[in-house]
Amino acid sequence: MVENLVEVVGLRKWFPVAQGFVASLTGVPKEYVRAVDGVTFDIRKGEVFGLAGESGSGKSTVGRLVLRLLDPTDGKVVFDGVDLVSLSPEEMRTLRHRMQVVFQDPLASLNPRMTIGEAIEHPLKIHMPQLSGEDRHARVLQMLDQVGMVPPDFFYAKYPHQISGGQRQRVVFARGMITAPDLIVADEPIAMADVSVRALLLDLMMQLKDEFDLTYLFITHDLATAKYVCDRIAVMYLGRIVEIGPLESVYTNAQHPYTRALLDAVPVPDPKHRRTEPLPAGEIPNPINPPPGCNFHPRCPIAQAGICDGMEPVLLPVDGDSEHLVSCHLRTGEFQDLDPLR
Amino acid sequence: MEDVLYSVRGLNVRYATRSGDVHAVDDVSLDIRRGEILGLVGESGCGKSTFGKAIMRMIRTPGRIDSGELWFDGADLMTYSEKQMQSVRGGAIGMVFQDPMTSLNPVQRVVEHLTETIRTHEPKVSELAAIARAEELVEKLGIRRERLDDYPHQLSGGMRQRVMISLALALRTKLVIADEPTTSLDVIVEAKFLDLLRELRDEFDLTILMITHNIGVVAEVADRVAVMYAGRMVEIGDVYGVFARPKHPYTVGLLNSVPNIDLAAHDLYKMEGTPPNLLSPPSGCPFHPRCPRVMDVCAVEIPVLQEVVPGQATACWLYDQVGVTGG
Amino acid sequence: MALQTPTSHEQEWREDLQRVGFVRKLLAGRRWYGTDWWLVAISAVMVLGFIILALFPSLFAPYSPDAQAGPRFLAPGASPDVPVLVSLASSSISGLSDLEVPAGDPRPSVGVVRGVPTAQALNDQAQALNDELSGTGMELRPRIARFDTLEETLQAVADGTVLAAVVQSTEYEQVAGDYPTVAEGESITGGVSSEGGFILGTNQIGQDVFSRLIWGTRIALLIGFSASIIALVLGVPLGLLAGFRGGKLDRILSVVMDSLYAFPGLILAISITAVLGPSVLNVIVAIAVLYIPTYYRIVRGQTLSVKEELYIEAAKSIGARSSEILRKYIYPNVIPSVAIIFSVNVADAILTGAGLSFLGLGLPPDTADWGIDLARGQGFIQTAWWLITFPGLAIMLVVLAFTMMGEGLMEIFNPKLRQQ
Repeated sequence: MVENLVEVVGLRKWFPVAQGFVASLTGVPKEYVRAVDGVTFDIRKGEVFGLAGESGSGKSTVGRLVLRLLDPTDGKVVFDGVDLVSLSPEEMRTLRHRMQVVFQDPLASLNPRMTIGEAIEHPLKIHMPQLSGEDRHARVLQMLDQVGMVPPDFFYAKYPHQISGGQRQRVVFARGMITAPDLIVADEPIAMADVSVRALLLDLMMQLKDEFDLTYLFITHDLATAKYVCDRIAVMYLGRIVEIGPLESVYTNAQHPYTRALLDAVPVPDPKHRRTEPLPAGEIPNPINPPPGCNFHPRCPIAQAGICDGMEPVLLPVDGDSEHLVSCHLRTGEFQDLDPLR
Repeated sequence: MEDVLYSVRGLNVRYATRSGDVHAVDDVSLDIRRGEILGLVGESGCGKSTFGKAIMRMIRTPGRIDSGELWFDGADLMTYSEKQMQSVRGGAIGMVFQDPMTSLNPVQRVVEHLTETIRTHEPKVSELAAIARAEELVEKLGIRRERLDDYPHQLSGGMRQRVMISLALALRTKLVIADEPTTSLDVIVEAKFLDLLRELRDEFDLTILMITHNIGVVAEVADRVAVMYAGRMVEIGDVYGVFARPKHPYTVGLLNSVPNIDLAAHDLYKMEGTPPNLLSPPSGCPFHPRCPRVMDVCAVEIPVLQEVVPGQATACWLYDQVGVTGG
Repeated sequence: MALQTPTSHEQEWREDLQRVGFVRKLLAGRRWYGTDWWLVAISAVMVLGFIILALFPSLFAPYSPDAQAGPRFLAPGASPDVPVLVSLASSSISGLSDLEVPAGDPRPSVGVVRGVPTAQALNDQAQALNDELSGTGMELRPRIARFDTLEETLQAVADGTVLAAVVQSTEYEQVAGDYPTVAEGESITGGVSSEGGFILGTNQIGQDVFSRLIWGTRIALLIGFSASIIALVLGVPLGLLAGFRGGKLDRILSVVMDSLYAFPGLILAISITAVLGPSVLNVIVAIAVLYIPTYYRIVRGQTLSVKEELYIEAAKSIGARSSEILRKYIYPNVIPSVAIIFSVNVADAILTGAGLSFLGLGLPPDTADWGIDLARGQGFIQTAWWLITFPGLAIMLVVLAFTMMGEGLMEIFNPKLRQQ
């Protein structure tokens, strides 16, 4: 039985919209941006779990909630059996060395006034105060070596702006892994790197995963890249998961109309395979006032009035496969006979 | 003989930096044919954006155009005064930028953007006539008339990009230079935008130069593709040909390092070495330190762009070429 | 799988760049930064000059600022009109004391022009010196020979008819050229006689304006720097805390600081010095209080924006404590802007200080200070213009130098404008 490293249950994060002075006085009901609106999933130990979606889907917010860089409005995050919300700030701080993050923009996530060596050493200083200065220095050099920044002494004293983008992202990896964490949340880790460097970075990530026995939460909008690294994947739309399952199943047998549209829309680097399918109408709606029921229904090619605009669908197994779940009235549950694809 | 709208000959652009001169565009010659969508690809620092700006003569200090001829529709733009260029820019040649939020004035309504552009280039048009034209335009682009009164921040990313295009179209533009137009857009919106570009090209007889680092986008929409590396053009040709049978080793590597969602997952190709240092570029062919098929001559002489199969040209010593020096 | 080491190419030029000395980088900056480079360079030289003057005033000032070294209201560059001894160039006589002879010896003859008060001065001086010599066996009792004109007097010296003559220095200098064998000696009253002794003139009580100017630099810079440093030391930490913590602390502090800031500067400084009394320290305190809100606001604003940066979130994610985040992540990124403001601030503080002393507040009245000199010279604009011109110029130059340097540095350090 594979154990779950992270369990997310009914996670919600609603950001209040600033109200005008008059509105707050006259009791106009407050509005919220529903960034994450009821998300449930597990991350199994040792896997690469992909969280895919467009901007506004809430995937980055979920990442921050899992790390408790944000506090949830509702729901819970359980890390290795511990409910994160129940921890005091100090307890949370000491737990942090087991869960690290790699952000999208390496230049922005490195302190411009700290050398690379200092930046990587800092987590060691915080979480392993028993190590001597020399020990720490040695570990940092070793880490730099492992992420391919050779010769490590050369890079130790450099500042972030003195090295290339691809190298910076390696530094961010190094910083994230120096405390030997269990979980790494990677939020668009290669999006800002050059195309020819991305493959190298992905390779590095997988290598480090094996070496350090890591688990990844891989957040991305690039479904093509996700295909290369993820074991399981969840697709998010407007704060909710619409489909989740093993990579093969989701990509070859996508059930949710949004997933199909997304997969279809990805530009393929082959002119012989240009897209022919129609795209969903309209644009991503305002997260302050999401559509009722299934929040994709206004754009959905198979939406049925009376069903899809009423009740919110839940994640249910596809064809009895408990691994592959989809949240769509017409694909699962009682309304399956209305599914035009059947 | 194809009808050439814009012929660039021997363009050289340099930037002065604290540590020396950077040769951002190195002797690039390119023909943009009327009615085509030409994709210009390369990674960051290859010079494609600089090229795009240079052909609009929008290079400012510390950059400068050292030499070159810019034959647009029969006239050499290098001989134009700044005033003449101003009437060309936004008029015959329009530009669409990457981040529409920063290229639209946040305190001007959409309609004002359009009418101002129209009336700057055609002063005789009255305000009312300009508004009418603006309304027509945005409808063609799928934007409802009412949205004209909105401010840029009230529109979504995709809509803003469409407003940018409509600005380009407002004045019967012949050539649209799109610099990373979809990089900030989501995948579905990007797909719609590319569809729109194709439609507009057909309806308005536009010519589009699409500058991007996204190979997939080029494959989706371009007729021909040109690949740049370290300021030089390394390959150019019909899009089917270049993708199916790339000639230059860099193109081969680039295409193989891009994930393809349609294919079964295979190992992505990892390109050796690091991107070139433009302050002291490698001798000879700039790709030679990273090239898996490098030969002795590559470090010594710079290869010249030459046609190797009909419709495809490349600058590589593998194809038995005459070099810059003729030897 | 290791990233290749930077190719030897790259490594070379990186090392080259590191080898390039500071001076070369500095000069290379000239082309890159253009006018701003010149601005900073020139003003830095000026600031350095002023600092040296302030540190070592005695090296540059010919006189002590309090010494009434010369005649009153002497115009710049003019020679003071003093009675001076002239004698043959070949003789060793240069001062009155050289005319001493043992008692009983023939008395030396000294010529004077008839009707000019020099005779009286000569008598007085000789008498005074003679009294000193009583009991030593030497005496100074020159025999006075009177002539009708200056020319005759000088001719007598040249002929040897008289041993020496005492004449007014200014008149002598006009005709000195005609009598090449005659040389000027010392003034008999002890004041400086040669031209240019007081390059910027003297004030109403005979103090050398130039020396006062140089000594005034010390006070001005002392006040400017001290006040700015105190304001910085107090304002920066408060700004950091307020920006980082937010909440009530921020609101209370901001209200206090905004109220202080809203006061017209000079008025606030006046009220504080009026309460505290005149002394250099009180002036520094008053001006420091004035500028604390400036540093507070700037640092608070910067802290608020740096707080939102991704690397702060990254620091939180690795488990850094708030104090660490403030110290290692926020402070170093906020400080550069402060350093630049400091320069302009010093200029402002000097100006305020001069303003205070001009109004007669703050500094004890015997201090050598530009503001005080300005105040005293006010009444003599028409008759002795140099009394206020030079202190005014000095204030202007110092303020200009610091301001230019600060503004130039601001342009250079602003990275957004300098995208490569």
